Amino acid sequence: MALFLCAVMVTLACSSQITLSTPERSLETREVVDEAGRKVTIPVKIERIVSLAPNLTEIVYAVDAGGSLVGNTDYCDYPAEAKQVAKIGDTMHPSVERIIALRPQIVLVSTASQLEAFTSQLGQQRIAVYVTNPRSLEEVFRSIETLGDLFGHSDWAVSVATDLRRRAVAVEVATRSVKPVKVFYQVSGEPLYTIGREAYLTDLVRRAGGISVTAEVPDAFPRFSDEAALAARPDAIILPSGGSMGTANLTAAAALKNSPAVLNNRIYKINDDLLSRPGPRLVDGLEDMARALHPEAALQFGRSPITSERKR
Amino acid sequence: MTETRDLSLTIEHLTLRKTLFVCGVLLLLLACILLGSALVGSQSLPFTSSLCALAGGSNCGLSSEQQAILFDLRLPRILLAGAVGICLATAGAGYQALLRNPLAEPYLLGVSNGAAVGTMVALVFFGQHEWSRPVMAFGGALAATFVVYRLARGRAGATPERLILAGVIVTTFLSSGIVFITTLMDATRIRSFTFWLLGDLSGTTTSLLLITFIAAGIGVAVLALNARSLNLMMLGERDAFDLGVEVGRVRITVFVAASLLVGASVASSGSVGYVGLVVPHLVRLAFGSDNRVVIAASALGGAAFVILADTVARTIIAPRELPVGAITALIGAPLFVYLLKRR
Repeated sequence: MALFLCAVMVTLACSSQITLSTPERSLETREVVDEAGRKVTIPVKIERIVSLAPNLTEIVYAVDAGGSLVGNTDYCDYPAEAKQVAKIGDTMHPSVERIIALRPQIVLVSTASQLEAFTSQLGQQRIAVYVTNPRSLEEVFRSIETLGDLFGHSDWAVSVATDLRRRAVAVEVATRSVKPVKVFYQVSGEPLYTIGREAYLTDLVRRAGGISVTAEVPDAFPRFSDEAALAARPDAIILPSGGSMGTANLTAAAALKNSPAVLNNRIYKINDDLLSRPGPRLVDGLEDMARALHPEAALQFGRSPITSERKR
Repeated sequence: MTETRDLSLTIEHLTLRKTLFVCGVLLLLLACILLGSALVGSQSLPFTSSLCALAGGSNCGLSSEQQAILFDLRLPRILLAGAVGICLATAGAGYQALLRNPLAEPYLLGVSNGAAVGTMVALVFFGQHEWSRPVMAFGGALAATFVVYRLARGRAGATPERLILAGVIVTTFLSSGIVFITTLMDATRIRSFTFWLLGDLSGTTTSLLLITFIAAGIGVAVLALNARSLNLMMLGERDAFDLGVEVGRVRITVFVAASLLVGASVASSGSVGYVGLVVPHLVRLAFGSDNRVVIAASALGGAAFVILADTVARTIIAPRELPVGAITALIGAPLFVYLLKRR
């Protein structure tokens, strides 16, 4: 018991110390509504950001706020500078202590799941938690614009988003005249997981000139029936793989071995980092996917040199 | 004390006839369930054509895809469900007889978790060798069995309560081991593992299916051969010893056989709970507690139960799927409460 009390006191001492050592932030705040519909009060001038997802880290750098990023996750490996930033654990198990010690003014989170206790702990430390939850490519672009606005780089963010939109439209225009390909998007083979109605990837497949055969399945990432996948007769299979996925998901599920896609060898591996991170590089993923699905249309779009320069 | 009457030799061949009769009835039931579950799935196949194809017809009018759905996807999964059911139900019957405890069950004793830890270690360290999974799972199950047994043995012998408490301790300890291993593994594999831990029968390979069936055959045969001794041991280990049963040898044999059964089933399908509890209880309720009948009938009943549960799991929210363990627990837990109340 004594030991327990002692531990509590030490904890209290630590937390109050951290609260005290936090410098007086700019008193000017404003209220915004995040993508989960929560009202969040944030300082007008944000200089210390912690990102809890690789896609958000990429957005922070894309809107030229990378200099304010003081913490990110073990998975945040792009752009290269992101690796040098202090790590707070991974997306699923962030260390609250480390986050608080970094004295951020805002913590960026992708989707609101499993974070209630975590959010209230940060709330007690007067750290704002901003949730993003894009369900389509357009919502990703809007996330970029909103975050740019929060960090005071609105003009820059708008120009980044405009450029990304232009590239996305170019892909759509190029694939408009071709016959859509029936696509099975294999999130994992054993057990079989795919993308459903609520996934932004379903929208991405459509824009790349494909039709996801699981577009109407409820959920974002449903566990899917082997038989139903085969019976859907996909003409192409997309395997998000490589990148931080390592050696996972490199082959089409055994259940699909008699599908037209496997019989015609239309299995396309696309860098998972481009597809599973709803950030600025999602458009790269879109272009790769469209090129894979429609080799004949590939010549009509591409990254402009200006874009690749900005990415750096 | 019905067991004492069973000792008399005059009833011996009556028991054999009863066993054969019970097995015949259950085999018929199992055949019906097998056929029925092969005909339903997330994709509906033409009824008569499928029936014709299942009967071995070569030109039944099924498209090559429907053929593949039926024979490459649905049947192997049903067979695996059957093998897993045989393993878990028979192992449960074995533990219950040996430990003289109606609540002894692979899942509740922590044996399933032991096998799960073994499988995960095999996956992390020898991922490319498929055979390492059942071997390590067997090792894990055996280790967990012996630890539980040692913990449960007090100065006053192993009381049922002590055994269950030991099972709880081993289960929670191994659960934290599982959490530790999943945390170490890379994130992309965690999702499939959480599914697998609840029991997942999809995506089996021919070799794993074969291993599970071989293990099931060996395990059931060994347990059936020891059924008579188990009957005597249900009177108490000392009485059984006085009646000429080699108690120590039987105990080791049954532990090893049951661990083999649990290991094989966990390595191929994860932890499917409640099968080892519900099936032997239903069997005893229907056919009495003679282990010669109970073990054989549990094997067949277990197969029927898991096949039925998995058919529900793969059709109820098609084309999505549920883990089969969720269904067995959903059927098993209320049924178990009902059985307890009836006593």
